[in-house]
Amino acid sequence: MDDIQPTTDPVRPKAPLRSWFDVRGRSMSTLAFALNRLTAVGLTIYLFLHLSVLSLLVRGPESWDSFVALAKHPLFLLLDVVLLFGVVYHMANGIRVALVGMGVGHARHKTLFYVLVGIALVLFVVGAVLIFTG
Amino acid sequence: MQSTMSRRTLEEMATRRDRSGSLWLVQAFSGLFLVFILGAHMIAHHFIVEGGLRNYQQVLEYVANPVVFVIEVLFVILGVVHALLGVRAIIIDLRPSAGTLRLVNWGLVFFGAVAIGYGLWLAVALQRLAG
Repeated sequence: MDDIQPTTDPVRPKAPLRSWFDVRGRSMSTLAFALNRLTAVGLTIYLFLHLSVLSLLVRGPESWDSFVALAKHPLFLLLDVVLLFGVVYHMANGIRVALVGMGVGHARHKTLFYVLVGIALVLFVVGAVLIFTG
Repeated sequence: MQSTMSRRTLEEMATRRDRSGSLWLVQAFSGLFLVFILGAHMIAHHFIVEGGLRNYQQVLEYVANPVVFVIEVLFVILGVVHALLGVRAIIIDLRPSAGTLRLVNWGLVFFGAVAIGYGLWLAVALQRLAG
């Protein structure tokens, strides 16, 4: 617990949370960062909801199978598509952040972003189609 | 008084910047592993199953495979660690006092331990149900 590191960086915004939603005059990197944080919050909430829902399995087949029937409702499938967008975007931008942070592709981080997000969008479209047609 | 104490602690922390960097590496590597594990999890549970989700019997048959058990356990551990380190990074961006952050750190460790413990219990319970 001795490694805590509150930022003292003077270039950080004074209201960082509010700055996520203020897109005026922002660079691509800042918007990518803000969207990464928003998807992170959504995915974290989903992860713990998902873990708690899985407890239905230990209650027996009726509990789980009735949940599965509910989860096939179009509204749930739409939420799955939103979740899929969060996963693929966070994954693509996260790979970029990890690579650039380790000194890989630093000079071409924008190109890396567009390529990875492009791959993510293709995966998203394929996944969204599979969710509704699978 | 609180402000002075926080500032002093911040100066002490500035000398430990390298240790915080190790947490960044844990988050980066757990994220990279999650790309593969989460990808396998989503394909196995949501995309190759007819109807989009496994029913009770299909879930038990799936988790009976020891390789799947290991992948799902790794998914719980890496997912929880990655998520809570991300929550910590966001909280740090909100500029909490050193005391608040210390409390948050312990809270996240406790919450993470409970979540991983619950996930492991669930994985073992399902393995037993699968028989």
